[in-house]
Amino acid sequence: MNEILTQEKSIYIQIKEMIENDILRDILLEEERVPSTNELAKLYAINPATAAKGVNLLVDEEILYKKRGIGMFVSTGAKRQIMEKRKKNFYDDYVKSLLAEAGSLGITKKELIAMIRESKDGGIKNE
Amino acid sequence: MSELAAKGIVKTYGTNEVLHQVDLALESGKIYGLIGRNGAGKTTLLSILTAQNPATQGSVTYNGETVWENPSVLSHLCFSRELNPMTGNNANPMKVKEYLKIAETFFPYWDKEMAKRLVGEFHLDVKKRISKLSKGMLSMVTIIVALASKAEFTFLDEPVAGLDVVARERFYELLVEELSETGRTFVVSTHIIEEAADVFEEVIMVDQGRILLKENTQELLERSYHVSGHEDEVERATAGLERHHEERLGRSRGVTVLLEKGQKLPEQYDVSIQKPSLQKIFVALCGEE
Repeated sequence: MNEILTQEKSIYIQIKEMIENDILRDILLEEERVPSTNELAKLYAINPATAAKGVNLLVDEEILYKKRGIGMFVSTGAKRQIMEKRKKNFYDDYVKSLLAEAGSLGITKKELIAMIRESKDGGIKNE
Repeated sequence: MSELAAKGIVKTYGTNEVLHQVDLALESGKIYGLIGRNGAGKTTLLSILTAQNPATQGSVTYNGETVWENPSVLSHLCFSRELNPMTGNNANPMKVKEYLKIAETFFPYWDKEMAKRLVGEFHLDVKKRISKLSKGMLSMVTIIVALASKAEFTFLDEPVAGLDVVARERFYELLVEELSETGRTFVVSTHIIEEAADVFEEVIMVDQGRILLKENTQELLERSYHVSGHEDEVERATAGLERHHEERLGRSRGVTVLLEKGQKLPEQYDVSIQKPSLQKIFVALCGEE
């Protein structure tokens, strides 16, 4: 939870994604307690209601669950669930804008595929 | 849940009407941001809400009870005014500790320990005279009075003026801390909008003696867009929407759009769509002539 808030997106969306990122990177483990909304509010100097909004979105998606009187916890299977959700959104979030920019520069699909095939960046396996 | 409500507030100074029929309801447990240009009527509004200044017309009530000259209600309100190094034509000779002593007798829920802790944290010299304080130090005193008053509804008039960045961030942390621990309500007026935007649950914009808008800050940010591109495309993309603050340069045009519930920006036009900051939205709404 130590990323910096930016102007680009709604604060509560950023809080939600930060918790997701921490789960993906094993900074927060399954069945572990996540910081309370008051702790998050204090850390980022944001309104507690806004922090709660982000956390509650994750409760709705069952990535977090509430233990009455104790706090919010990471659900079992949360990491897998986040990966599947982000895979589903990968086309809309990344591929679409990639194709739009390629289109306006006149890069053909063939050239684009070659670029990806020859790229050594990232940790993607070939097959 | 308490409520502080102003109804039909009009304020005139001589023939000059500075507040026109203002209605405002404040709920407990929230941090409100009060923003407006110089002379918009912010300080007058705050002083009327806390019964330090009589309204020409209208009423202010706390849970239905009138606020004016009502000591049991006034004990729940605190207006920490901007401190002035001068009183009338003379330098204010009072020492900081004397000022805090007066505040202590004034606010029945005064937290002496907290005042002491904050004086230490801000490295404030309580033996100094008010007239000798820098602008930042004056702000610190008003912040200490506001926080230590423990009043359920606390109003701060430009509390961060003159404070350095580190102290400003600390102030917002203190506000959030106090809110989560006690559920008090804070109304904070400021001109440094951007850094406070994330702290305000709701933002109240005042313009020329009227409340232009009172809305959840995140919801306002979500429904605001900046649309720019070729003037014809921008025209088509924003036709029928609430537009503000048009800027033109040759054929290019930019406009701030506030969507109503259920409205969407059309996707088929070749325009850039960006998210404006709260400051930009404020300028778009209040910078219009």
